[in-house]
Amino acid sequence: MAIPVSQAWTVATYVIKQKLAGRKRYPLVLMLEPLFRCNLACAGCGKIQYPAHILKAELTPEECFKAVEECGVPMVSIPGGEPLLHPKMPEIVQGLIDRKKYVYMCTNALLLKEKLHLFKPSKYLSFSVHVDGEKEHHDFGVCREGGHDIAMEGVRAAVAAGFRVTTNTTLFDGADPNSVRRHFDQLMEAGVDSMMISPGYTYDKAPDQKHFLGRARSRKLFRALLSNRKKRWQFNANPIFLEFLMGKRELTCTPWGMPTFSIFGWQKPCYLLQDGYADTFQELLDEVDWANYGTESGNPRCANCMVHSGYEASGVNYTFGSLKGLIATAKAMFGGLYEDPDAQKLLNDWKPTNHGQLVQIGSGILSAESERVNHSESLAVGD
Amino acid sequence: MATEQQEHLKIEELQQLSPDQIEVMAGRDRENLEGWIPALATEAEVKDAFEKAFDYRGDVTLTLKSGEVVEGYIYDRRQGSTLENSLVRVMPSKGEDRSRRSIPYSEIAALNFSGRDTAAGKTFEAWVKKYWEKKAAGEKNIQIEPEKLD
Ligand code: SF4
Repeated sequence: MAIPVSQAWTVATYVIKQKLAGRKRYPLVLMLEPLFRCNLACAGCGKIQYPAHILKAELTPEECFKAVEECGVPMVSIPGGEPLLHPKMPEIVQGLIDRKKYVYMCTNALLLKEKLHLFKPSKYLSFSVHVDGEKEHHDFGVCREGGHDIAMEGVRAAVAAGFRVTTNTTLFDGADPNSVRRHFDQLMEAGVDSMMISPGYTYDKAPDQKHFLGRARSRKLFRALLSNRKKRWQFNANPIFLEFLMGKRELTCTPWGMPTFSIFGWQKPCYLLQDGYADTFQELLDEVDWANYGTESGNPRCANCMVHSGYEASGVNYTFGSLKGLIATAKAMFGGLYEDPDAQKLLNDWKPTNHGQLVQIGSGILSAESERVNHSESLAVGD
Repeated sequence: MATEQQEHLKIEELQQLSPDQIEVMAGRDRENLEGWIPALATEAEVKDAFEKAFDYRGDVTLTLKSGEVVEGYIYDRRQGSTLENSLVRVMPSKGEDRSRRSIPYSEIAALNFSGRDTAAGKTFEAWVKKYWEKKAAGEKNIQIEPEKLD
């Protein structure tokens, strides 16, 4: 089982209660961003591009607890920035555990090994380590040679210390499914409980705007990746959401399903888009014109989105929306290896592309690519 | 809400195709706004300028009609039907009182994109170029360091 039975039970009863109460919009996971500063500076990330006074600001533990209580979610994910840079992160995590919330503390793991002793293993706590692929893919994605080795060292140390460990892999244009499948094997061998996976975020603010997958290519990639799965692979994802990524299902976005709270307040409308901030969760629910969001809305910023923060809650809704949904989910959970000869052929014939920049650093493929770059551009980041 | 000008590549793409056929999404235009002092002569200019200021990843300087100068980061804006009921929300970067402020558009005399655009130039292409330069120079453990905050 990829998640503890108690967690599955808590989530199931929470969703059923919301449905029985006739609530149309309810959150499932709070994305709690206690700070934006980070010890990496990935070129694809738009979360850390702020002036220094904003990067120095952080939420207090009390502000974090208030946000969690305000929206009432059973699960809290703590992205950032890098949460381990927050001096009060152990206190925040413990406070959430005391409130019986299932916590996913997202980290690039650069500091995980040295800070592990500040946390206690618990069924309520998972370290969600960001590892974007095999060594060179990850290193290139995070713009740091050696980043993968440090992250995997953190994973192994956390597993050895008895913590629950999940991983989080984001795929951009140019991702090679054969390599990602090897990456899954490596993660399971390292002892992780389960893996999360998502197409790259279409952050409006991301400095890199050229390597986000469109829907057609996302489906092809995820079909090759997730069909003919190995039994040992455990995913921390709603199975219906994974079927959506593989192109086997249609889902519409549930942007309120994973609301984001940060130093600015409640982000309108979702984790990816910033159309302003609400001061309370209720204000977020009431003031956002939800019809303007989701792929079907025609909003250009939603057009290629298939990410978990918008669609995983839709999968959960499908699961609990009808008997058909429950049966489909059970089938996917207990027998879903998705044997598919055509997908196997797709995988066998897959040619790693070199149009994306997320390719092997050591392969030399990038040399030609790099010559074509616009020489007027320079890295503004401190290096 | 980004302006149409900022979104035009995506809008053009979507006019040709449905999202389900798109292989790789068009990005959005990145405008070079650093140092820009927009004319705030008409209501449309004011609204457009604050929309861009909200999108901008650097600090701005607001000169209020009272003469007060507020420097900080615009993290939100609310557009109402008039300039009186439209406002920007600012996190000040200077002064003793750094608490957030809401300032109606109608009280603002001038806007200056005075702070550095913290998102400018940080592309994969730039990283690739820098990477290969460093590699060629024999460097090891090549990385982009986050900016120093002090
Ligand atoms: S489709 Fe949903 S999750 Fe994706 S950007 Fe739009 S509102 Fe956000």
